[in-house]
Amino acid sequence: MRAGIFGVGHVHSESYVENLRAARGVEFVGAAETDRFMLADWTKRHHAFGYASDDELIAAGVDFGIVCSPTNAHLPTVERMAAAGVHVLCEKPLATNVDDAQRIVDVCAAAGVHLMTAFPMRFSPSLATGAEWIREGRIGEVLAITGTNRGHLPTGYAPWFADLKLAGGGAVMDHTVHLADVMRWWLGNEPDEVYAETNRILHPEVAVETGGLVTVGFESGVFATIDCSWSRPDNYPTWGGLEIEAVGTEGVFTVDAFAQRFDVWSNGQTSWVDWGSDTNQLMIDHFVGAVRGDHPVAVTGFDGLRATEVALAAYRSAERGQPVVV
Amino acid sequence: MTLRVGIVGAGNMAATHAAGWNEAGDRVTHILATGSTRAGSLAADLGAELSDSYEELLAAVDVVDICSPTDTHLGYVEVAAASGVSVVCEKPLGRTAKEAQEAVAICEAAGVLLLVAHVVRFFPEYSVARDRVVAGELGDVATVRLDRSTYFPVGDGSWFGDHERSGGVVLDLMIHDVDYARWVAGDVERVYARRAEPTGSGGHVLATLRHRGGALSHVQGSWAFPEGSFRTSLEIAGSEGLLTLHASEPFSALVPESDDVSAVPQPPTTLAESPYVTQMKHFSAVLHGLADPIVSATDAAAAVEVCEAILQSIDTCQAVTLGGAS
Repeated sequence: MRAGIFGVGHVHSESYVENLRAARGVEFVGAAETDRFMLADWTKRHHAFGYASDDELIAAGVDFGIVCSPTNAHLPTVERMAAAGVHVLCEKPLATNVDDAQRIVDVCAAAGVHLMTAFPMRFSPSLATGAEWIREGRIGEVLAITGTNRGHLPTGYAPWFADLKLAGGGAVMDHTVHLADVMRWWLGNEPDEVYAETNRILHPEVAVETGGLVTVGFESGVFATIDCSWSRPDNYPTWGGLEIEAVGTEGVFTVDAFAQRFDVWSNGQTSWVDWGSDTNQLMIDHFVGAVRGDHPVAVTGFDGLRATEVALAAYRSAERGQPVVV
Repeated sequence: MTLRVGIVGAGNMAATHAAGWNEAGDRVTHILATGSTRAGSLAADLGAELSDSYEELLAAVDVVDICSPTDTHLGYVEVAAASGVSVVCEKPLGRTAKEAQEAVAICEAAGVLLLVAHVVRFFPEYSVARDRVVAGELGDVATVRLDRSTYFPVGDGSWFGDHERSGGVVLDLMIHDVDYARWVAGDVERVYARRAEPTGSGGHVLATLRHRGGALSHVQGSWAFPEGSFRTSLEIAGSEGLLTLHASEPFSALVPESDDVSAVPQPPTTLAESPYVTQMKHFSAVLHGLADPIVSATDAAAAVEVCEAILQSIDTCQAVTLGGAS
């Protein structure tokens, strides 16, 4: 099975390339990128082939691809891939607006190609344990959930993360969707109301919101909060983290998805080194299985669409200063 | 000069405050607790007299320490002020913002001190964190996360469950962190909150506070955690840095579970001096004219006002904007 990376603007392309090379039965073909300087740098570092456009990579023959371009560029790439019958694993959030996200879902459905949203947290063993605990009622009935997905200012990885047009927003767009998806997965029902407050006190030099607190109401009456702030300083020992806690009528459990780590002090620096399961690898292995026909896709385009809707509703709420309906 | 202290009430806080007054070198000489079964033994332990009336107590003391149920605070404050006796009052200052503001105005007009026991300001992790903020180490405060999660007070504390008397988990428990949030991030402009109230619990609340300076606080207050548990946490992120509380206690042990759960939850502390003692020593110093109050009476009233807005948000399912707080 042949695979490519469509766009190298997203920092995850740096790790996905190694995951694709490690995936059983997958041949990594190369990466497509229209920015030739970025492409040259990327292909040199990863000893990979480069293609100057999506069409050239498609013409080289790929069965599936991972879309890693800036968020607003996902749709045209997905349209090209779907038209050529190439299966799509798309970086999150799917798009910068609901229409584009819906269109991504629709074109893949119409073309009969698999579409999966890149939510690697669905493959986290600790979060899967949380899902199981809720399913089995081990904390009784869930009352509320709190989640934090904070990180560095990501412009160090790529400036477009703080570009309103390319990313669709800042911290809210970047960090709301993972937890919104985990909450939908755990609760098995849909968000129907969102309240959000945002600010720009951290890194005021960027033109988008850097702090955000989002409250999500679910159809079942359960409510949840998501702290999506870019509040980890530059010298924080890692990129950030994801923690989530569920409070139920019979107990409480907490998941720190990146707790499996070493604290390493060396060369005057402190860093956290993960030793837990590689969720990116598990996600890609799963998608390969889906393309091969072993099982359905676990995280669909619809899941990506719903999570994107929560982030977009957060912006509407922050502007109005009141909760909004999703 | 040793102060003569009269305590109103003989419940959990009365006993805690009394121990603090002793450590401060002052003396609890009178207790008013008509109808309380615990008053006799508390008075005997302290070598204090049981007063037959409030007037009799006020005539015999330098300061009154009001540790009665919340809805009775204003009445006791009024009479003390009229008698020219300085007042220490357990938090919250009043059951409503109006009551709290009245208490402030009455004491100001009478020229008596009004010191409100927001004890969290005397817990070193909270005061040291605030010192770092004041020293400017974190830059401008952007996001604050505060959590106080425990079980529902049982037994003698049954009035806590009477919303009309106590204001429930928001006014009795969450107010600690609302006060702290104001202390580190300033006046509150807008609040949004959700509450779950499963049968038999005292409720679980998540609130978002937007401060006038733009900072956002996430406050969790819960009386729905499993019996015996008491958890607090604190994190402050600013434009120049991040402060996170190292959660582990300096002493930990693994022993078979005990059934010995205190009726009214109190946070675990492993410190040479209990923060409750630190608080009473501070109050004593203020009453002796040796220190300025760390908690101003207007701060105490403002915390009640924010909590009232949180309750209004819960009831109306809307964000609530606060009036011109001082």
